[in-house]
Amino acid sequence: MDALMGRLRGDPLRTRLMVLLGLWLVALVAMSLVSPYFLQARTVPYLLQYVPILGLLGLGQTLVILAGGPGIDLSVGSIVSLVGVFVGALVTAGIGVWPASAAGIALGAGLGFINGFLVNVLRIPSLMATLATMFAFGGLALATTQGRPIGGFPPEFGWLGQGTTLGMPNAFLFVLLPVAVVLHVMLTRTVIGRHIVACGNDDRAAHLAGLNVTRVRVGLYVLSGVLSGIGSVISMSWFLAARPDAGKGMELLAVTIAVLGGTHIFGGTGGIPGTIVAILIVTTLQIGLQLANISAAWQLGLIGVLLIASVSSSGGFKLGLFRRSLGAGA
Amino acid sequence: MAEATDPRPAFRVASPTATRELVLFIAIVVVGAGFSLASPYFLTVGNLVQTLRAALELAIVSAGMTLVIIMGGIDVSVGGIMAVSAILIGKSYQAGLSSWVVAPIGLLSGAALGAWNGFLTTKLRVPPIIATLGSMYIFSAIMFLVIGGAWISGLPGTLSPLVNGWVVGIPASLLVILAVYGIGWVLLRQLPYGRHLHAVGCDERSAGLVGINVDRTKIAAYSILGLLAGFAALLYVARLRNVEINIGTTVALEAIAATILGGTSIRGGFGSLLGTLLGVVFIRIIQNGLVLIGVSSLWETVIIGGLLITVLTADAWRNRNNPRIA
Repeated sequence: MDALMGRLRGDPLRTRLMVLLGLWLVALVAMSLVSPYFLQARTVPYLLQYVPILGLLGLGQTLVILAGGPGIDLSVGSIVSLVGVFVGALVTAGIGVWPASAAGIALGAGLGFINGFLVNVLRIPSLMATLATMFAFGGLALATTQGRPIGGFPPEFGWLGQGTTLGMPNAFLFVLLPVAVVLHVMLTRTVIGRHIVACGNDDRAAHLAGLNVTRVRVGLYVLSGVLSGIGSVISMSWFLAARPDAGKGMELLAVTIAVLGGTHIFGGTGGIPGTIVAILIVTTLQIGLQLANISAAWQLGLIGVLLIASVSSSGGFKLGLFRRSLGAGA
Repeated sequence: MAEATDPRPAFRVASPTATRELVLFIAIVVVGAGFSLASPYFLTVGNLVQTLRAALELAIVSAGMTLVIIMGGIDVSVGGIMAVSAILIGKSYQAGLSSWVVAPIGLLSGAALGAWNGFLTTKLRVPPIIATLGSMYIFSAIMFLVIGGAWISGLPGTLSPLVNGWVVGIPASLLVILAVYGIGWVLLRQLPYGRHLHAVGCDERSAGLVGINVDRTKIAAYSILGLLAGFAALLYVARLRNVEINIGTTVALEAIAATILGGTSIRGGFGSLLGTLLGVVFIRIIQNGLVLIGVSSLWETVIIGGLLITVLTADAWRNRNNPRIA
């Protein structure tokens, strides 16, 4: 038991993960007390239906923040909207829905590259640069469509967003789960993963050790753009329409999830499992409160409190929510 | 050699961002000329005064945003502060209180919410962007819970003259803007507090070491911004006589855009109130002109975003050899 506690204490990320899992349990219990409908088998797929889009954005955000700088990507929601409008236009022009989706994901990569270039090559603070692109991308999506959604997707396109396999939503089973596993393996088992953490911990040391810090970080912004593009495709497949405001507000949720999941806001510490549990917590709260017919305003407020509590150092320290690896003794 | 003993720089007419202000001023003239050629209605007194009134709230909030950004912070929750203050104002009016009581309630509630942001960023050490994002959620939640999707309407317009009135042929809203920016200028350039703001924005650690109370300076800056947001809420209620559910949704981003366009450094340390005011005018003229020449107002966000990217890129290019920013 002592050995276990010692191991837990030695790894701040693992402590964080335990706390998060505990929080999730608390959320599940609280929600099943609040709503009698919550604790039913059919709630699970319903819950997982909501997870993939936000999950993909949260994973991208986690990596961008993890690589330090400090990096942040506030434009992910706008990328979701703009990619959707682009794919919608291609489909309306008579191009097949799957090739159009592929083109949309490529556009996401391009938009992510713009962010990465502004932040890491021109060295504009990430917050400002992605705030500006959030305006620009989101504005373009709204202005080119006059705010009207684009419909006309073939019903079979719904396989991804609406279909289920073995009771699990396809978007969860075939997109989010593999992506999360691949990213987790990449982060913990490959050289690239080490490079990302090194950039976040001390970019000067990483640079002196021969790493191309700029390339790593630009690459992660591109990855964030690609994941947003995939999220956009799932969203369209779910609603069978491209809404020009599809990603509105998602950037804030994505940041909340990444930070709540234990990724340090200035980079260097963090991981995929924490982000995944954070997504489950946020989604559980959203759906539970929705089922209990409690105003959506409470969800907003709760997310705000979670966001602040998970970052605040003094409050967080007491809750064990926030630990930076300051050394073996921490 | 009397000057040599005084280490303070002499009074300068030109601010450190004079070039940016000049460029922005020329841009406003050029854009204005373009719009007046395209629409005969643009350059009429009626339209210009209308634009001025539409710029009032943004101008007031932007003045506070400039202080906070010079100090090296940022506040994306000002829209939420405006909303909560406006609701308190509306509820106080409905309770039958007079404007003499309601106005301080609006101002103080704004200042208190601003101080809350300051508390989060200093005492709890939450980075400003995260703290104010969280506050934004919380403030919107409060707003939705209190008014529950309905408007508060039918409020008295006792303060309306501040927005719509005229004083010896000058629109009152212009006087309000000039008063706010005048006080802001005195605060920023003439009082020790302004020096403290610049010092904290330049280098927080050094500012602390020379004896500036960094936390207090920061909390005061966020409180001033909150106070101005409360004032903007008062004028909002005076102008519209109701509180709509979408109050303040765009004001934070617009205020940040106006401040950055006006030459204030996003990294803190220097900035200009005059530039911010020109930035506000520029944004509102573009909005007004686009509507007049029949372009969808939806393009406005694209234009502001594009302008921001251009300005930030130009700044980055100019500072490319500055090792402090590398």
